[in-house]
Amino acid sequence: MEPFVFFGGKGGVGKTTVSCAYGVKSAQAGLDTLVVSTDPAHSVSDVFDQSFSDEPESVDGIAGLDAMEVDPETETQRHLDSIRNDLSEQVSAAMVNEINYQLEMAHQTPGAYESALFDRFVDVMRNADPYDRVVFDTAPTGNTLRLLGLPEFLEGWIDRLIHKRKKSIDLFEKAAIGSNEPRRMMEGDPVLERLQERKEFFEFAGEALQTDAAFFIVLNPDQLSVNETRRAISDMAERDLAVRGLVANKLTPEPEPEADGRGARYLRDRVATETERLQEVRETLDPPLVAEITTRTAEVKGDLLTDVAAELAIETTSEPPQSF
Amino acid sequence: MELADRIERFRRTLRVWARGLYHGMITHPAYEKIEKEAEDIEDAFMLACFPDAFGIPSPVSYYTAELLPYLEDTFEAWERRLWDRDSYIERKGQQYHF
Repeated sequence: MEPFVFFGGKGGVGKTTVSCAYGVKSAQAGLDTLVVSTDPAHSVSDVFDQSFSDEPESVDGIAGLDAMEVDPETETQRHLDSIRNDLSEQVSAAMVNEINYQLEMAHQTPGAYESALFDRFVDVMRNADPYDRVVFDTAPTGNTLRLLGLPEFLEGWIDRLIHKRKKSIDLFEKAAIGSNEPRRMMEGDPVLERLQERKEFFEFAGEALQTDAAFFIVLNPDQLSVNETRRAISDMAERDLAVRGLVANKLTPEPEPEADGRGARYLRDRVATETERLQEVRETLDPPLVAEITTRTAEVKGDLLTDVAAELAIETTSEPPQSF
Repeated sequence: MELADRIERFRRTLRVWARGLYHGMITHPAYEKIEKEAEDIEDAFMLACFPDAFGIPSPVSYYTAELLPYLEDTFEAWERRLWDRDSYIERKGQQYHF
């Protein structure tokens, strides 16, 4: 299977638990595995009872498993600092003010967090070298879909910018009379160079998501979650990304057949409803149901995580990435 | 001999004037026009890169910010120009120096 595995789904369905369980499963199968959380509500730390940072760190007690949590705040700051660094090399002090204003604004736009997250996770994919498998625990569906749609959208945008820049430079070159030096030159134009670099970055991202990533959606057996899953599948199909499988989480356990208390009746009713929903999932949604995980009475951690991992019928083999 | 000299001098002056006139009336306006067009396209490029400088949010400003160090001299001038620019016809007719 593909080296990069994404788990998505509605908020609160248990993406983090399933991602971590699959990470554990892959590690136990002998793969060097990294679990990356891109959800701003970082809970990977809570699952492993260990705090993680922006850089991969090994998970205590599980051989071959590392984890990291991408923090958009840190990432945005890092981006800002690197531009400031370039600025101080290029720009005279008098000019810096005006540009600084623009710079800070650009890092506070609503899209900045998304871009920062996107940059970081593409970076992780690009430098996934020591790992056989990278598991992404993503933010709730809407955000993630937007994130996955970014490469195509941004590539088009960058293309238009490159086209405009080339056109103006071309005219500047033509406007240089006789042996005058043109005001801009195509050769070695740093702006074009930067744009080109960015374009390649987005191309890589698009390619890696298409060829080296497998997507799974985690859902709960209730109507809202099923509906959202259906929408997510069609949204992703629009972006040419196929959903490999669905993971049903938090199923209610069946009571003993002879039990007949209020609790048992409640459970029985609940199970009947959930069975109906799961039936709907099997019949109307294309991707196969690869796991049905019963709800646990305690938080899924430690040994429970291994239990849950065993319930995931997702293969753990991994082929090296094709896209680079 | 003297006549030949005078003709020669006259022709030289004429050539200078002709070149000057040609340059002033034909070549220079033409190049100026191209340069103006280049500037206009560059302005359009800048606007596509940094529309939020004028209050229009852009999904790519996070990325185009990376270009700022290389557009330092252009950026401020561009911003000033766009805030306060004469009519489009005025701008386009500038090369005729009325």
